[in-house]
Amino acid sequence: MISEKNPVKAARYGMTIDLDRCNGCGACMVACAVENNVPPAHAGANDRKGLTWIRVYKVDNGAEYPDRRSVFVPVLCQQCNKDTPCVHVCPQQAVDLDPATGIVGQMPERCLGCRYCMAACPYHARYFNWWDPAWPAGMEKTLNPDVAPRMRGVVEKCNFCHGRWHAARERAAAAGKPNTEPVTYTPACAEACPTGALQFGDLNDPASLPAQAAKNPDAFRMLEKLGTEPKIYYRSKRDWVREIASAPKPGAGSRVASAPTPKEQAHG
Amino acid sequence: MDREFIARGVKRCSTPKFLLWTLPWIGLLAFGLYAAALCLIKGLNQTNMDNRFAFGLWIFLDLTVIALGAGAFFTGFLLYILKLDELRAVINSAVVIGLVCYSGAMGVLAVDVGQPLRFWFTFWYPNVHSMLTEVTFCITCYLTVLVVEYLPIVLRNRKLRQVPQFLVFEFELHKLIFVLAGVGTFLSFFHQGSLGGLYGVLRGRPFAFREGLAVWPTTFFLFILSAAAVGPSFILLTTWLAEKISRKRLVKPRVLELLGRISGLLLAVYVIAKSVDTLVWINRTSPETGFQAWQYYSWQPFGTWILLAEIVLFGLAPALILLTARLRARRGWLVSAAAMACLGVALNRFVMTVQTLAVPTLSFDRFLSYTPSWQESGTFLAVVAYGVLVYSFSFRYLQLFPEERELRFEAEQTEELPVMAGEIDPAGRY
Amino acid sequence: MTTTRRNLFKFAGGSFVGALFTPVPWRLITDTALWSENWPGIPVPARGEVRTRFTNCSLCTAGCAVRVRSIGDQPVALAPVANHPVSHGAMCPFGLTGHHLPYHPARVKQGPVEQAQAAVADAVAKGERVAVLDLRPGRTASWTYRRAMAAIRNGVYVAPAQALGAGTAVNLANAKTVLSFGAPLLEGWGTPGNVIALRDGFRLIQVEAVESRTASLADQWISINPGTETALALGIASVLGGGSPDYSPAKAAAATGLSEQQVRLLARELKENGPAVVLDASGSSAVLALNTLVGASGLTLVTRREAPVPEAWKKAAPVTELAEIPEHSVRVLLIDESAPGEYIPWSEIEKTLVPDNPVVVAFAWERAGYGRHANYVLPTAVYPETTEDIPPAIDSVAPVFRMTAPLVTAPAGVVDAAAFIAAAAGLVPGDALGERIGAIHKSGRGVLVASSDLKQTPVKDVSADDFRKALIAGGCWLDAADEKAPAPRLPLADPKPHPAEAADLPLVAVLTEARGSVAPVSPLMSKLYEESKLRLAPNRAALNPIAAEACGVEDGDRATLETPYGRCDVLVTLDAAIPPGVVEVAARPGILDICAPGTRAKVVRV
Repeated sequence: MISEKNPVKAARYGMTIDLDRCNGCGACMVACAVENNVPPAHAGANDRKGLTWIRVYKVDNGAEYPDRRSVFVPVLCQQCNKDTPCVHVCPQQAVDLDPATGIVGQMPERCLGCRYCMAACPYHARYFNWWDPAWPAGMEKTLNPDVAPRMRGVVEKCNFCHGRWHAARERAAAAGKPNTEPVTYTPACAEACPTGALQFGDLNDPASLPAQAAKNPDAFRMLEKLGTEPKIYYRSKRDWVREIASAPKPGAGSRVASAPTPKEQAHG
Repeated sequence: MDREFIARGVKRCSTPKFLLWTLPWIGLLAFGLYAAALCLIKGLNQTNMDNRFAFGLWIFLDLTVIALGAGAFFTGFLLYILKLDELRAVINSAVVIGLVCYSGAMGVLAVDVGQPLRFWFTFWYPNVHSMLTEVTFCITCYLTVLVVEYLPIVLRNRKLRQVPQFLVFEFELHKLIFVLAGVGTFLSFFHQGSLGGLYGVLRGRPFAFREGLAVWPTTFFLFILSAAAVGPSFILLTTWLAEKISRKRLVKPRVLELLGRISGLLLAVYVIAKSVDTLVWINRTSPETGFQAWQYYSWQPFGTWILLAEIVLFGLAPALILLTARLRARRGWLVSAAAMACLGVALNRFVMTVQTLAVPTLSFDRFLSYTPSWQESGTFLAVVAYGVLVYSFSFRYLQLFPEERELRFEAEQTEELPVMAGEIDPAGRY
Repeated sequence: MTTTRRNLFKFAGGSFVGALFTPVPWRLITDTALWSENWPGIPVPARGEVRTRFTNCSLCTAGCAVRVRSIGDQPVALAPVANHPVSHGAMCPFGLTGHHLPYHPARVKQGPVEQAQAAVADAVAKGERVAVLDLRPGRTASWTYRRAMAAIRNGVYVAPAQALGAGTAVNLANAKTVLSFGAPLLEGWGTPGNVIALRDGFRLIQVEAVESRTASLADQWISINPGTETALALGIASVLGGGSPDYSPAKAAAATGLSEQQVRLLARELKENGPAVVLDASGSSAVLALNTLVGASGLTLVTRREAPVPEAWKKAAPVTELAEIPEHSVRVLLIDESAPGEYIPWSEIEKTLVPDNPVVVAFAWERAGYGRHANYVLPTAVYPETTEDIPPAIDSVAPVFRMTAPLVTAPAGVVDAAAFIAAAAGLVPGDALGERIGAIHKSGRGVLVASSDLKQTPVKDVSADDFRKALIAGGCWLDAADEKAPAPRLPLADPKPHPAEAADLPLVAVLTEARGSVAPVSPLMSKLYEESKLRLAPNRAALNPIAAEACGVEDGDRATLETPYGRCDVLVTLDAAIPPGVVEVAARPGILDICAPGTRAKVVRV
């Protein structure tokens, strides 16, 4: 029973991502889409209008061929723990930072679709439903009943597979465990990662992999100076890879690309 | 045939000619409404906005027209609270401009959000920390105030005031005008500021992020200042435009010069404040987030020219022109400076909305550009057409310019040609 | 109180005002958010009993063990089985979305079965040559084809040539150095879980013109001029004391763009940091012959026995390579495309067909492969519907036997290719899989691995019936590697003459995404294609921006890829990571018909 002597022990779920292991296969991206009922791309979608709650970027060291080297960086909602930008700006409180889990949850049924949170997020971790979701005939039978599909006009993002956390809570309750203890579960992306680059755990538990990784000198977080306290810890032994966490430096290999041409928009 | 609706003592063009004038605007409005309907029915995939450019043409234009429509509240404040009586000549026009700007902006916002039917959620589940909640509340209230301020103008129509209840109602309402002006000023102060606050609080966008006073970033105050500065300029511009199109004298030149002087003064204060703010941002605020300010301007085409254009070319220059009495007296300089001031504010809003989203935040972001789709442009053009139509009807049937009758009478008396733009009246009466 | 109208109104009004002080109206208002969450037309996922089942993925020969989450009988999620002895808890994006394949919009549902049967029967009766092209040899169905071809007068069984020889496996566990000429070792080669598990045990040197995913993660990436793999192999061979006598490291360096020192270093590393193995993406004999020089045979290249087969089957037709078939001799060609496998360019196959009225029957789930060239396309079941065994992967050293479990019922019009061909040949219908499983059980060798608890039970301790049931439910049979197996005979070098430099074909084609190209792909793969450009989509060709400018194409343009063998429509992607002389294309049937690794090509704007 929850009481003053037996208070709820809050979890602070986080993740560690080993960039020296990630091979850019994209298993995390599709596993996430399967788990969370994210629809396949609409005919007009491109990489700027898609729905990829976790997205693997190919980042290079800025050198010209043949000294060019690449690394694959999975980027998902960083679950900012302090001054969470999106929580702060949503006009109808459709986003909240759950103090019991540390998960930044998005409520699609409350979302107005104003996209202010998308402007606020520096990690581009939020995605808007520009189209209504559509699955090929029959494929809607494969949808996950634990997650509600979203219609067009609302924002969505990674929520650390909150449905799985709920299921884990229910299993723990059914097993008679006290509901003051945090539960252990694995989100779809970490479960699917074949190289073990993605590891999920409770940062409040010193034995968990993310908590240990956080203390590793090779660990870093994206844009740390912004002060958002993200809970995704990236790791790499390579110096140039650790540099990607800081602000952009134009001229250092960044490409100026134009918007998709009308042709590209038409063909997708 | 609609002579009875047109006020006594002023001349308006014939009805067929007026209908001819409205026709292209109605056409544009219809086209724009079709574009907007497409966006509502098919969804926002009809636009070229995407996950990186979550805000596009519409938000930029919303912010610009709201800044330009600030003339409504500010003129009211100057007239009813600070008792600058010359401005009585333009207050009605200002109210119509304000109404048009705000209602147009609200219309576009209704199309811009993904779920317009959920608009009431902001009122039901407000987030006290969000600037957008504040904007929504204040703009909704202010739109109501503007409608209430517009009502008396309508009720004073020659035909409508024949209804005694309207006359009485209008009279009683006018007694409350100070209250309305005060409330309007208060609300405008907050929503103009909050529109600036929208960007200033974005901790995740160091390009826009500013420190400030308590919960209000400096952009809050800068937006209020710039809106107050450009409001009179826009009134000046629209009045001049109305005079040119209708080929009548509507206000005494000294009214326009007064508007120009107020605008220039506030613009100068704004330029100083903006320059200080920019220096603090370049040297402290931005570097503390790990983003060096110079790198924002390395992403072509957003070079440092845009910063200089905003502050110097379209900020300091028009301010200095408007503060110089001799230049103010020349219609050409006055109107040009007012137009430049308006452009400067538009540029500022553009920088805050579009450039903020264009510049990368992650080191592996690409710099992307965005061009609005025809549906987006069409929707905006609908607002322009709507504005022109409302203003045209108001100009024709309502008394927007109290001094018009007097000026026409004087012109007929002296049988002079009306003073054309650019000439200085040799008799120095104005 | 009397029931006057006024009292009634007063009561109603009072109740209304009173209700406002209760939570009811406020809750109803907030609940409208939930009721209006989705408009009609947004699917509601079906609810039901959650079941866990197991299967093995047949989208490639890795045959990863899969944990299936089903709602009732409908699979809704596929997940890897952690710590599985074969797949080591890995799965790829294609496997993770396999349960979508039955609903793919491109799926063929009906076909002219009777007409095809008639055409085949006609040829069989006349004694004309009937050939079965099996794109995924090594299955029980493959044995059925071989038995069928042996049963008719003029039957021949064809399978794609195995570069390292049939029955040869790569023993990565023994390798200390792996020299890979573009083989996608870390991109789905072999059994990905196995490669990942063994990765820290060997040094990977990736020789490739483009920085592929494997190259970016390799211990060393050697970037050579595109299309010069054979030259480098010959250069290394000359240092190791083999290969062509008129080839030298200097010549190799000149062709590849490396320095002579680098070539010598590579050779030295192979010799001194062994055991080594040399792999190639395109099966070039010059490259693979290096394995003989480094003594890979028996160490890093070993013989792998097949899972036991009933004795009666051993009288089946032999495996013939396409090149061995005389031109214009085949009257009926039956292509089994039902299980994803290699793709042989159509021009090579067409050579073997009789010039007038050949009959080509393609057993496929979609028309985009050989269906384009076939007279009859007969639809087959797709992965979660099939009951079929998966041949071992190239890095599977131990004999292994696993099957897909039928999770979903196939639609009514599908054809079982093995049953069709067996019937056409007059073979007695039987339960081939059952017989095979019986033979494995009878041998008494190996263990049965259950995916649910990963318990390994010796086959001897399992009854025949339980063994069969366990395999059909997604279990796996695993035997020990044969220590005493003879070392495999490796192919000899047979360097093909270099094609003449074609001036008007300025680019060299590099193939990518070989895994998913001829295999079915879920619509959800758009996450990796259109929605993120992480992988090259099947209809795309990637060019360096400088090369694109020279070709006059921009990002997103429609273009034609032209090679000496034909042309194909593509969409252009610009990628500064591709070297200027290269065009990278996704290896799909349309492309593979006109393009092999190293083919010269040009891209022309449409």
